[in-house]
Amino acid sequence: MSTGTQHRKRDIFVEGAIPSSFIAESIAKHATRTDIGAHEIFLGQVRADAMDATGEGTTVQTVSAIEYTAYRDMANEQMITIREEAFTRWPEMTCLHVHHSQGVIKAGELCFMVFASAPHRRQAREAVAYVTDEVKKRLPIFGREILSDTTHIWKRNT
Amino acid sequence: MDVLLFGMVAEKAGAISIDLEAGSLVELRRKLELSIPGLERLSYVIAVDRKVVLNDRALTGSEEIAVLPPFAGG
Repeated sequence: MSTGTQHRKRDIFVEGAIPSSFIAESIAKHATRTDIGAHEIFLGQVRADAMDATGEGTTVQTVSAIEYTAYRDMANEQMITIREEAFTRWPEMTCLHVHHSQGVIKAGELCFMVFASAPHRRQAREAVAYVTDEVKKRLPIFGREILSDTTHIWKRNT
Repeated sequence: MDVLLFGMVAEKAGAISIDLEAGSLVELRRKLELSIPGLERLSYVIAVDRKVVLNDRALTGSEEIAVLPPFAGG
């Protein structure tokens, strides 16, 4: 397992929603890195999807929250691999930060952040798009969508 | 061996792990589906030592095994 400073093992999970203040602080922490010329950030927000829970088209409920759980050890290992792939593809990238929520996140709250910084915008932009897609595909994270009538359905990424 | 269960699989089983003995992944799948009613109708994959394994393979009993329903991160 790689132990380089850009690849060190870290836990991507945070308990509860990601506060907007956390994002502002993340940006501020990079002010001393004057080799950076571009930040790119993806933020995932819980959407109040309308769901036909019965499948009969008669009862439409909206998603009021998602409860996220994860196979945390595997998710963090997968994240190390994705991170290494990203630094191989975009070697000029300065840093990459990924956070995902655990627990109940209400509609309208933030549950996922991918933040890449690079000297120029292209590397940061492409890396964020790649990492966002790969996290959704490869990390064992599970979402129980809690509906307005308190029933639930299990979210699945397509 | 202690098999870790997640998401809708844990919900179906009413537990976050299940103790089963199996010498291969095929045998493990069969025992899981006998032990967890309705599992055969769910889509799931099995991870061995934190990596998804799709083909059959032998198990020694010392591996970390997990049953994973569809991923939903992001």
